[in-house]
Amino acid sequence: MSFQLTDEQELIRSSVREFAEAEVAPIAAEIDKNHRPPLETVPKLGEMGLLGMLIPEEYGGTHMDTISFAIAIEELSRVCGTTGVLVEAHSSLCTWPIVHYGNEEQKQKYLPALATGEAIGAFGLTEPNAGSDAGATTTTAVRDGDDFILNGQKVFITNGGFAKTFVVMARSTDAPGVKGVSAFIVERDTPGFTIGDPEQKMGIRGSSTTPLFFSDVRIPAANLLGKEGQGFEIAMQTLDGGRTGIAAQALGIAQGAFEAAVKYAKERVQFGKPIASLQAIQWMIADMGVDIEAGRALVYQAADAEWKGQPHSIPSAIAKLYCGEMATRVTGKAIQVHGGVGYTESYPVERMYRDAKITEIYEGTSEIQRLVIARSYLR
Amino acid sequence: MKIVVTYQWAPDPAEASVGSDGKVDFSRAKSAVSDYDATAIQVGRALADATGAALIGVSVGGPAAGTPVATKAALSRGLDEVLVVADPTLEGAGTLTTAKVIAAVVKSLGDVALVVTGDSSIDTGARMTAPVLGGLLGWPVVTDAKSVELAGAAITVSRVLPEGVQTLSVAGPAVIASSADASKPKAPGMKDVMAAAKKPAAVKAPADFGIALAPEGAVKSTGKVSGSSRKGVRIDTSDPAAAAAELVSALRTTGVLS
Amino acid sequence: MTYILVAGNPAVTELVAAAAKLGSPVTAVVVGSQAVVDAVNAPGVDAITWLGDPGAAGAEAYASQVAQLVAAAPGVVFGGRHPGERVLLGAAAAALDAPVITSASEIATDGGSTVVTHGVYGGIAVETLAFSGPVAFLLEGGAPLAGGGSAAVQQVAGAPAGVTVTGLEPPATKAANIAGAARVVGVGRGLKSADDLPLVQGLADAFQAELACSRPVAEGLEWLPKDRYVGISGTQIAPDVYLMVGISGQIQHMGGCKGAKVIVAVNSDKDAPVASEADYVLTGDLYALVPALTAALQGAS
Repeated sequence: MSFQLTDEQELIRSSVREFAEAEVAPIAAEIDKNHRPPLETVPKLGEMGLLGMLIPEEYGGTHMDTISFAIAIEELSRVCGTTGVLVEAHSSLCTWPIVHYGNEEQKQKYLPALATGEAIGAFGLTEPNAGSDAGATTTTAVRDGDDFILNGQKVFITNGGFAKTFVVMARSTDAPGVKGVSAFIVERDTPGFTIGDPEQKMGIRGSSTTPLFFSDVRIPAANLLGKEGQGFEIAMQTLDGGRTGIAAQALGIAQGAFEAAVKYAKERVQFGKPIASLQAIQWMIADMGVDIEAGRALVYQAADAEWKGQPHSIPSAIAKLYCGEMATRVTGKAIQVHGGVGYTESYPVERMYRDAKITEIYEGTSEIQRLVIARSYLR
Repeated sequence: MKIVVTYQWAPDPAEASVGSDGKVDFSRAKSAVSDYDATAIQVGRALADATGAALIGVSVGGPAAGTPVATKAALSRGLDEVLVVADPTLEGAGTLTTAKVIAAVVKSLGDVALVVTGDSSIDTGARMTAPVLGGLLGWPVVTDAKSVELAGAAITVSRVLPEGVQTLSVAGPAVIASSADASKPKAPGMKDVMAAAKKPAAVKAPADFGIALAPEGAVKSTGKVSGSSRKGVRIDTSDPAAAAAELVSALRTTGVLS
Repeated sequence: MTYILVAGNPAVTELVAAAAKLGSPVTAVVVGSQAVVDAVNAPGVDAITWLGDPGAAGAEAYASQVAQLVAAAPGVVFGGRHPGERVLLGAAAAALDAPVITSASEIATDGGSTVVTHGVYGGIAVETLAFSGPVAFLLEGGAPLAGGGSAAVQQVAGAPAGVTVTGLEPPATKAANIAGAARVVGVGRGLKSADDLPLVQGLADAFQAELACSRPVAEGLEWLPKDRYVGISGTQIAPDVYLMVGISGQIQHMGGCKGAKVIVAVNSDKDAPVASEADYVLTGDLYALVPALTAALQGAS
């Protein structure tokens, strides 16, 4: 057992931090304020190799271990939760299933552009009446010769507004429940495929979250990902990794807020002393630090299990549950340390608080994580 | 042909704390290849790519400078290989000592067309390493280079001085200190980080170059920077116009304004 | 023997003052025109060794020759911060095996040794050292000398080598010279937007001051060019007055303006570090105070 990061993992942290400070942090507040996706960052992320972290080198990726991936998401999210989830959803939810379930032709066709950022990826699972319940998918895919014809609607799709490559779950057989669901790769400009207006969200406001509409969308059968009826398995496997990624996003947001709180506590003078000298503040700082360290251990543990090919469904659920709630706690305390100014846009912590909240909800709510975790203990 | 870039693995003094006895504590400060040196490495990389030369990083410092994470960090910025002279006695070494060790390394490498240094050292703010190194090697030195070109032994440098943009022709081999804005350092990409582990890194001791180190001077005392000698007069700003008038009058009294 | 090294610019008053205190005869080694020699021939300078006018050669081209001269009769050496001066000083230090001190606050002789107090790590702490051999000091040059001395001038044939100046293109816009400015107005992150820079520029104009800034304004935000940032790693300034607007006064910044005779701080936080590092402190909204100051300074000379 080792609790020591490798040199490469340490260097990835320092490189991504340097990049994030230089290219991401300066626009974080502005994209939040204007609900604007940071599209200008995408080519830079591609150049850094941060969009192909889960893609093998032969397809143009940087094929990093999952702890390194988690560190990269953590560091991007430390300065900007929006950029963190852009890369996380692209990588975990789109590139990962293509790498693991795609055939050679699909990999060669889609992965190189996804690795550079020429194409951003998205994942279409959630429907108006199928949120956490993937078996209730109603979008249909009907075979027609060498094609499938898709009809239906998806909602809350991260990166929807600008993604070019979508992995979409649709029901293609009459088999009941989860058995009838298949996964498809759908290209953005396919006729009949339209993207709705982005949601106006509380946090991660630069992230483009849109509905997808399928109206007789004809896609070649060659775009079936994996086998027919394998969609639910693909979705669940994909979400296992995605949960660790979101946990890393939550961890990064919390870390950013924590650092802001520590800095403020040392600078802000009240009653002739920095507020950091007050025990009330010290206790909050201690609690925040402990909370973050616990969450970090869970994230790296889940990522390590995944990288080693061990069962990681439960570790990732534990990490996601803990870090989501931890990020909300820590960012809330960070506002408290700031006092009144923390509630204003003059300081980043209110944005971080709003960004943190979603990590308790998307890619499986805290309640779903508890359900999964409880089942594993009670079976 | 080789091009050498010197770099320092050092903490940023902004992250250090100073005890009441003036002892500087860097234990909480994280070391890195300084911005100045990252700039120089990019200048060197462009020259090496243009000429086909090998780009060799040379660093001098305490034991931390020779750790794998330090050498890989430097290599990930675009060096082909690194040679580090690491020794406890070189921790916080002065300019003269540092330059002596670098000079010995450069001589041992042979076939060096050019040494590129950063503008300034991050931990002392000194801008003398290049001048002393050039002196020790007997090579021409030009500092503040905004751009550098290399054609055979002829080096062309341009730099921004108060009187204008000056171009100089320098007979190589030479030592060139790049200005802080000679390039804009970019964070190493993921491929650079992964490739760094596969590049050669040699860590040596001063004795490997036959250098005996002696302290540069005898330390008599250290101290904290004494309290401010400034007046600290607070001007009431409840009425901005009156405050401005009061300041102007005070500046007249002190002779700043006539 | 004590040396001061002059590379085309007689602004070396502080070097002469520091050198004279050591008690040995002071020799100025000059690379420069006749006019420079005449200016440097000032009280405090006992002898001048003149290597001639460099013409198209850069002052750097004389480094080896200066080093040989100094090494022939070793002593403490002083040089300034300009590029040519630093190269001459470095060559001399190498030839003399002399440690280089770049931030000395006190220099004295004690018996046979030179005792130096200097700032370490950019001035966050100080250290006092004793040296038994030659030392090379880099100091702020100070004002130009103006002749009036009676030093013997020994002319030595210059032997420039290695460096030739091939061109000089005068700057399209006047380069910032905050290092040499008598008045400087510095702006920091208290300014909300780059759009508000004209407000501070207006103040600088009214005050006949150069506009400067803190490092984040130049390097992170890139609101102003890098040659305008004051700090340990930026430009060190020593104006008669430094008016700081919206700069909190972190140590990295204050290390670059230690030499200012008077510091005025305009800042919204009465407890910012700058408040204890300034001579006059105006706490309040800079958007109210700067226009008032601009109006008051308009016309004041």
